Amino acid sequence: MTGGTRVTIDRDVDIVTARQIGRQMAAEAGFSGSDLTMIATAISEVARNIVEYAKRGEVRLETASKHGRKGLVVVANDDGPGIPDIEQAMQDGFSTGRSLGLGLPGARRLMDEFEIVSEPGKGTTITMRKWCG
Amino acid sequence: MAEHSDATIGLPADDEVERRLRYLNFTPEDHARIRDVQGEILGHLDEHLAAFFDHLSRFEEAQGLFRRGDVLDQAKRLKREHLVALFQGNYDPAYVEQRFRLGQLYSRAQLDVGLFMGAFHELMASIGARIVGHFSGDPTAGFAHFVSFRKVAFFDLAVIVDAMMADREQTIRRQQEAIRELSTPTLQVRDRLLILPIIGLLDSYRAKQLTDGLLQAIRAHRAKVVVVDLTGVSTVDSKVANHLIQTVEAARLMGASVIVTGLSADVAQSLVTLGVDLSRLNTMGDLQGGIEEAERILGYADRRGERSAVLND
Amino acid sequence: MPIPILKQGNVLIASVQAALTDQELLRLKDELADKVGRFRSRGVIIDVTSLDVMDSFATRTLRSLAAATRLRGAETVIVGIQPDVAITLVQLGLTLEGVATALDLEEGLDLLSRPARDPRR
Repeated sequence: MTGGTRVTIDRDVDIVTARQIGRQMAAEAGFSGSDLTMIATAISEVARNIVEYAKRGEVRLETASKHGRKGLVVVANDDGPGIPDIEQAMQDGFSTGRSLGLGLPGARRLMDEFEIVSEPGKGTTITMRKWCG
Repeated sequence: MAEHSDATIGLPADDEVERRLRYLNFTPEDHARIRDVQGEILGHLDEHLAAFFDHLSRFEEAQGLFRRGDVLDQAKRLKREHLVALFQGNYDPAYVEQRFRLGQLYSRAQLDVGLFMGAFHELMASIGARIVGHFSGDPTAGFAHFVSFRKVAFFDLAVIVDAMMADREQTIRRQQEAIRELSTPTLQVRDRLLILPIIGLLDSYRAKQLTDGLLQAIRAHRAKVVVVDLTGVSTVDSKVANHLIQTVEAARLMGASVIVTGLSADVAQSLVTLGVDLSRLNTMGDLQGGIEEAERILGYADRRGERSAVLND
Repeated sequence: MPIPILKQGNVLIASVQAALTDQELLRLKDELADKVGRFRSRGVIIDVTSLDVMDSFATRTLRSLAAATRLRGAETVIVGIQPDVAITLVQLGLTLEGVATALDLEEGLDLLSRPARDPRR
């Protein structure tokens, strides 16, 4: 039921590992089909962000419950250079191709809750949650 | 009363136990005080259990619990086990699950939450009186011990009420699901053409269900054209409108084109007001017109059916 | 493990698997661009039926792949996007603009066999 799992993110294969484990845990928690894909995709985005910008970090996956609903918590953590302008990074630039390629606004759209803490020189921590039903 | 197997929905996660105990500021001293009175309370268990069940038996609203002997017996047995566990002081996930199950039982016996809390209070009063009586020479210690017990009692209360509410929510969801299924339109298949007439109120949840069903159907029937008929829809809000657009785009990604028919002037106007770009939708006036357009598209495709290598070898 | 590329007449066909890494996708792009040139292919089909996640990187790379093959004279069609993936892509706001899509291999081949102007698109 619960139990956190940590996935070290170092290379591109780790992105696949993290999202597959995330999908598995979400399935066990009772998420439906399209939600599973959304969760896996959001994990893919934040994990890739680590590979591309921080080179190394980790993704922690944990199930949770709130008001009787099961959920999944994803915490992506790295000691990378940090994001100087979070607002700008979270801006929607996809459709026009202007995005900085961070994929973070996309991840936010797929999850129910999304928090990002980042400071230049201090790394980045992204916490996202999605709830069943 | 059917037995439900999906019993774990809503069960608090393991880390919640820690958090809930922190909310109550439950300390090792509290733990020690509980153990102090353990013998005293467990020695008079039947009396305390009676306080709870006698109180309930006085009310009509608790009849669901008393009507069936087996349910009542199970409730009494579980309650006895709970009290024993409470004073044994091992508050782990199994402890929580124990209370969760009882809460589900109460909910399925249609026990009113307010009434349950009234009975629970009687139980606390009964135990409280015994604790205070045990420390008759030292009221301060007596009260301190009662407070420690009360913390765990509140812990139990929260879990049980959560379980009752989660169970209730689930029942409501199931009922809503059943209602929705009755009003879910059937997809009609006609040689790579799907027709989806939408009737009645369209909310976000239903819209999502329709999208899922439609895309699965496109794959299953290898549909090339889908006609979505909104004749039976009187109002559309922005969420649903966006959902409609997203459905159309998702269908396109799967190689199907979507024709939207039956958009009333009102609905079209609201969509425009909501900022929806109608030009992104292929719309036709009525269902008949939509089917004709679909057949035209498919007919065109069939005429080109000879798979000759147009790309030169 | 490189993704196998099949040649069917004028068309190159590649099927990607679920656990597709970034490196594998980039390599596929390069290989297809190369083979299109060598075999003078007119069409490329990427079958993503088994792909369980299409994120921003995959989308970018596939668009870039389509552009690269087009420069060398071949049209690319992505086939087999699964319902959940389609919903997620749309939710993400990712577009596969500039890339044709079709339901499956059969439809993809059919699309490639049409003349350039298809009133449907």
